[in-house]
Amino acid sequence: MSAIASEYLPVLLFFAVGIAFALIFVSAPIAVSALTGTAKPEAVKLSEYESGFPAFSDARAKFDVQFYLVAILFIVFDLEAAFLFPWAVSLHWGGESAWWAMMEFLGELAIGLVYAWKVGALEWE
Amino acid sequence: MAAFAFYLFAGLLLTSGLMVITAKNPVHSVLWLILAFFNAAGLFILLGAEFLAMLLVIVYVGAVAVLFLFVVMMLDIDFKALQRGALQNLPLGLAVSGVILAEVLLVASGWTAGQGVIVHEALAGPPPGMTNTQWIGSQLYTRYFFVFSMSGLILLAAMIGAIVLTHRRRVGIKKQSIAAQNARTPGGTVAVGKAAIGQGVEL
Repeated sequence: MSAIASEYLPVLLFFAVGIAFALIFVSAPIAVSALTGTAKPEAVKLSEYESGFPAFSDARAKFDVQFYLVAILFIVFDLEAAFLFPWAVSLHWGGESAWWAMMEFLGELAIGLVYAWKVGALEWE
Repeated sequence: MAAFAFYLFAGLLLTSGLMVITAKNPVHSVLWLILAFFNAAGLFILLGAEFLAMLLVIVYVGAVAVLFLFVVMMLDIDFKALQRGALQNLPLGLAVSGVILAEVLLVASGWTAGQGVIVHEALAGPPPGMTNTQWIGSQLYTRYFFVFSMSGLILLAAMIGAIVLTHRRRVGIKKQSIAAQNARTPGGTVAVGKAAIGQGVEL
């Protein structure tokens, strides 16, 4: 195991503990109610109550393509931010050329941002 | 411990990958895909590539898979009807995937790293005093500047393409114009006049 991987071992252990507790908390009430005989489902018990209401249409419906545009723009700028992380910690080795490489990259995306702004793609209509 | 973790992540990765293509409900498929991404991130951490693992979680789980989920949940397609005719297209599908598999095997068996591509150094790990992320950064922005710059252009093309394809100006919508709102002055909008009794005012 590499040194980095062993540093992440506590995270894995926390995951295991979290999953174990989630399983216990979900399965224990089900098991208890099944074993003690209190689980007697019937049509009225399983029906909607209080704020719930019977479903009146399908959940799948045509939606505005603007949502998709927002998601795509989010992914693009998410990736831009992801590229900034290794750049920020490695300028000591990359030097001036790495600095200008990132400026050029940011410039390319700035052109896209200006275009999106100008055509009004960032505005909700 | 490392072997246990590897088999745990690899097993879960293969299982969830299988569930992606066999799950009846496409929403479940995407959720299995997210689990597959998480396990791949775990494998990256085992290799010591923590930056790639975080990137996988942030970009793929945080953005791409959520976009998939969002599209799959909202698309107005009857998936049951789509699956009904799937068996008839099975021979064609098998033929196409067979061709793709053959091509992938051909490329993978005949591939050698080009000049200037670090292969053996990569196996040795980062030089002392440098973390994995710093090592990636020190290479990516200098040695692989051209590829990095191309990725920026591809992102630009994706952005402009998405805008051109989906954006349209809607007419007849009342919108707030902040600039026009701020440019209003009392002089242009308010008039104070004396109204004579019984005469009314002229506007």
